[in-house]
Amino acid sequence: MDPKNSRFSTQISHLALDIGGTLIKLVYFSPNGDNCEDGSIVVGNGCSVVQGRLCFAKFETRKIDDCLDFIRFNILQHSGVQHTNGTARDKLSVKATGGGAFKFADLFKEKLGIVFDKEDEMHSLVCGVNFLLKTVPREAFTYLDGQKEFVQIDHNDLYPYLLVNIGSGVSMIKVDGDGKYERISGTSLGGGTFLGLGKLLTKCKSFDELLELSHQGNNRVIDMLVGDIYGGTDYSKIGLSSTAIASSFGKAISDGKELEDYQPEDVARSLLRMISNNIGQIAYLNALRFGLKRIFFGGFFIRGLEYTMDTISVAVHFWSRGEAKAMFLRHEGFLGALGAFTSYKDQSHSTELKPHHHTVERAVLKCSDDDSFRHIPVTANVNDGEAIECSINLV
Amino acid sequence: MAGRGDDEHDPILDEAKSSERDMAPSAPPGTSIHRSGSRPQLDLSKAEIQGNFEERDPTILLPNQSDDISHLALDIGGSLIKLLYFSRHEDYSNDGDKRKKTIKERLGLSNGNLRSYPVLGGRLHFVKFETHKITECLDFIHSKQLHRRDPYPWSSKTLPLGTGVIKVTGGGAYKFADLFKERLGVSIDKEDEMHCLVSGANFLLKAIRHEAYTHMEAEKEFVQIDSNELYPYLLVNVGSGVSIIKVDGEGKFERVSGTNVGGGTYWGLGRLLTKCKSFDELLELSQKGDNSTIDMLVGDIYGGMDYSKIGLSASTIASSFGKAISENKELEDYRPEDISLSLLRMISYNIGQISYLNALRFGLKRIFFGGFFIRGHAYTMDTISFAVHFWSKGDMQAMFLRHEGFLGAMGAFMSYEKHGLDDLMSHQLVERFPMGAPYTGGNIHGPPLGDLNEKISWMEKFVRRGTEITAPVPMTPSKTTGLGGFDVPSSRGSALRSDASALNVGVLHLVPTLEVFPLLADPKMYEPNTIDLSDQGEREYWLKVLSEHLPDLVDTAVASEGGTEDAKRRGDAFARAFSAHLARLMEEPAAYGKLGLANLLELREECLREFQFVDAYRSIKLRENEASLAVLPDLLEELDSMSEEARLLTLIEGVLAANIFDWGSRACVDLYHKGTIIEIYRMSRNKMQRPWRVDDFDAFKERMLGSGGKQPHPHKRALLFVDNSGADVILGMLPLAREFLRRGTEVVLVANSLPALNDVTAMELPDIVAGAAKHCDILRRAAEMGGLLVDAMVNPGDGSKNDSTSAPLMVVENGCGSPCIDLRQVSSELAAAAKDADLVVLEGMGRALHTNFNAQFKCEALKLAMVKNQRLAEKLINGNIYDSVCRYEPPSVSEM
Repeated sequence: MDPKNSRFSTQISHLALDIGGTLIKLVYFSPNGDNCEDGSIVVGNGCSVVQGRLCFAKFETRKIDDCLDFIRFNILQHSGVQHTNGTARDKLSVKATGGGAFKFADLFKEKLGIVFDKEDEMHSLVCGVNFLLKTVPREAFTYLDGQKEFVQIDHNDLYPYLLVNIGSGVSMIKVDGDGKYERISGTSLGGGTFLGLGKLLTKCKSFDELLELSHQGNNRVIDMLVGDIYGGTDYSKIGLSSTAIASSFGKAISDGKELEDYQPEDVARSLLRMISNNIGQIAYLNALRFGLKRIFFGGFFIRGLEYTMDTISVAVHFWSRGEAKAMFLRHEGFLGALGAFTSYKDQSHSTELKPHHHTVERAVLKCSDDDSFRHIPVTANVNDGEAIECSINLV
Repeated sequence: MAGRGDDEHDPILDEAKSSERDMAPSAPPGTSIHRSGSRPQLDLSKAEIQGNFEERDPTILLPNQSDDISHLALDIGGSLIKLLYFSRHEDYSNDGDKRKKTIKERLGLSNGNLRSYPVLGGRLHFVKFETHKITECLDFIHSKQLHRRDPYPWSSKTLPLGTGVIKVTGGGAYKFADLFKERLGVSIDKEDEMHCLVSGANFLLKAIRHEAYTHMEAEKEFVQIDSNELYPYLLVNVGSGVSIIKVDGEGKFERVSGTNVGGGTYWGLGRLLTKCKSFDELLELSQKGDNSTIDMLVGDIYGGMDYSKIGLSASTIASSFGKAISENKELEDYRPEDISLSLLRMISYNIGQISYLNALRFGLKRIFFGGFFIRGHAYTMDTISFAVHFWSKGDMQAMFLRHEGFLGAMGAFMSYEKHGLDDLMSHQLVERFPMGAPYTGGNIHGPPLGDLNEKISWMEKFVRRGTEITAPVPMTPSKTTGLGGFDVPSSRGSALRSDASALNVGVLHLVPTLEVFPLLADPKMYEPNTIDLSDQGEREYWLKVLSEHLPDLVDTAVASEGGTEDAKRRGDAFARAFSAHLARLMEEPAAYGKLGLANLLELREECLREFQFVDAYRSIKLRENEASLAVLPDLLEELDSMSEEARLLTLIEGVLAANIFDWGSRACVDLYHKGTIIEIYRMSRNKMQRPWRVDDFDAFKERMLGSGGKQPHPHKRALLFVDNSGADVILGMLPLAREFLRRGTEVVLVANSLPALNDVTAMELPDIVAGAAKHCDILRRAAEMGGLLVDAMVNPGDGSKNDSTSAPLMVVENGCGSPCIDLRQVSSELAAAAKDADLVVLEGMGRALHTNFNAQFKCEALKLAMVKNQRLAEKLINGNIYDSVCRYEPPSVSEM
């Protein structure tokens, strides 16, 4: 194989995508600084180790052109790949997962000359989480009563666990080991429902706007609480406090109010609580089925929002009577993309991310919207995931 | 008593009481039964239909109705108030009938009371109101003075104001306690919500035979729950919120889970998003919706492909409302129909899933869904069933309850002490669908109309509103497209009511005197109906038969009342009401529970009675009885001249031949125009050529006469279920009865309690027997012994005493008023008579073919009938019209 050629394809393979119904998540490797040509360090066995960082970016799926531009200008060009229209080399293969890996395959081939190497969605998710939990310290944390607490995961005691990925919809996966997993459940009430219903109800334009709104709202205005039914008293016999939600949006039944009469903040809050609570409950019930004590929540819906995490944690805590714990991941939104990224190792050992051998020195809390992205011509949300400093092996 | 003043001093009745035998021929035989039966009359004075008549379900208020209403219970939820009240029967046993008394003594029945608790006969009515219109509910209670009744059903004394206590459950029991005190002067006795739900569900599941049903892919199927194997189960009550309860037994339950995404969420969000004014409107919208415009489907994410690896089809919803994210549409750009459907699917599916997960936790296979969110809505039930079926891989069953909305109210009602309801069994409950039922759908609002004039004008008004209510709407079976991917629910396009698939809830008649026929080999497995009307072809055929027979029936009924203008008006109203029932059933076969021919025929008789056609065939019956009695002596003489063997055959032939006289059969009605009774009988008997289509005569003969010189022992007691008046009973069954009596076998003639077509009733039989006894000593002696001729032919010391071999002839009523018989619900009198019986003879199409053809008995059984319907003949015996059935069965060997 032509070494030059090999290098190119190697570098392009440092990119992986997860194209979901709502968002496109990107993970790519950015070599460190101004080392020699590609910053590679030759280690024994003829292998070279490249120091660098894993960077994360995301785009809305409906603005896929922004994503294409980003890849064209920030990744392909940086890697020295010049053929922007896919005329020269059609063989550039990139790992991709999510439904969009099928839906947009032709588009990527046409616009960027990239051929998707499709990775199974669930498989990618699981690989991503396993990678993070094993290699990145302080990746997982609990969130209860406003307290964020990192959890030290013992690598040998990681499995089994329940993975709840909240994207547009929700997938629940029981993970028993590396590559050993099963999608056991899911629900269609997910992030897409929050944003979709939220848009219809509040005229919010974006997810973040809606979340921001929900932060300021009061769900009691529109939810029917136990106290509303019981005239302010608890239904203590079955452990329901008067502030427990008896029926989400239930007060809208009898108020004689129109949508316009409600504050968008309150509507957003009710919606968020309804969906978070429901996810927490279904997750708990599934964990219970298989005797799983740990539930990891991921997916872009959570995006580190305290109130969301709090609601989910409370739901899990309430239903399990404190037996099960809800845990969150710092790279929650990029699980699938990371998993796709790690799957490169399966290809004839040309590239290998080596998390197992402490090649990942540390994960920095530094946001990656620093100098390396100053020249990004299009806007991309790159500050969500934290860059992971790591090294990868090159042949 | 109000509403029936005209009957109060009816001399005929008084006479009937004093002297059964002398009952004037013109006396309506049904009248006295009607009075002592199970129908207290309502006071309809000042009855009015409230609100605009253009409304779908006008409220019917009967302000002056107050008789016998004993108590009520309420369930006040966040959205709806469910009210249940009880009205008492008149005292049942006080009929002062000497004949009955004699028979009861004979059968060892002590005054009719078999139980220690007070006999609770009465009716349960189910009513609902919207919670935000609580004043309507208070007015309703006040107008009927429901709150001033002693809370114990056997007492009907009025309580002084301010002392009443009513049982209420639901959150509103707390919230509205003051309001009740203020407006009605009653205190509320708060009953725990979960407890009420559970005891209500337990009662309904045990007491009502086809309370539970499954609903998959638009197919309803009723499930018979064995009350011994009811527990444990999961009860999911979907009200504003959802409660999930594990039930382990009577009073043993635990609320294990719940969800705040429930009916209130659907309605609340739906209102905000669609501007619908009511829950039903929102639900109706969903019928025409397409959720794929707003939900993100797996196919949307995968570019139209399935994610088959994990079993997700392209039409599976990946994210409810997910499509609203990425399209630059405003709320106004979406169809409210689509939004409603999307919401409905989201919530129903979620409820199904959470219920499944909870059932799994506790290893429960059965999940019952109740609560007002479901309200018999086909798509909701399909979605929930689908979720349960899908997640459990078919291991669990989602079931729904016909009284779904009334579980809590029922439970609150149960919490009154000493009501005796706990002991009620399914055979003691009869559900009736009043004539308003097809119009009001599942929405019961106010009690059924009772007054004749009110009923007629109600019918007329409804019919004036348009023809759509009587026109059957064709059914379109809805399809599914794989996993969760239902197509748009089929729109029925019916203006009949808001939800075409709603189930009716009838008025529950509690009749503690009904019992299971003790000679059934396996009551649990017993199914009265022979033809399965869940088969569409069969159903359509029989509904059509009933529909075609209707004009003749109306003519006969009107003529029976003298053909007056009033009778014609009533006849018209009856025809409309019954047509509406038929139309409703054509469209929604399970509307009144599991449908069988027996129920259909009973419904028709009930409908006739509602319009006070007490006995449409009375004059025909009398005429035919007279004509038949006239030829009976000749027939008996002819029989007596025969050898034993020839006589037995001729008797059976005679029963079969005489069974041709049947006004329920279209074919036979045509025949009557061609000849006299005796001509037809002779012709018919002469045509009886063996072998018959079903011919067990030889086996029966061997049992009766023995073979090889061995004399078999005679039967101890034979129960003869008779069919029609006239030749059928007089020339067919009486001679057969006489043959049994002659052999020393006691004979009990079993006949209807209430008239149905030209069937002979238990009230009419003594007269007929008396008439026959004039010509025959055997019958006379036996009838005297059986107490049938109490006042007649007074000859004390004669008869029984000096003839030890003679056996009595008795008559008992079977407890029903239908041409068919469901042997799970017979009179206690019949049940008692069955104790010593070792032979059951069922005669006629209704009792031996339409029902009970396949019934197995603990004793010998003889089923005799002439098939007077070509289709039935083909279906049942692979034969033709006028073929005969003589089925003799030895006792069914039971492993128990």
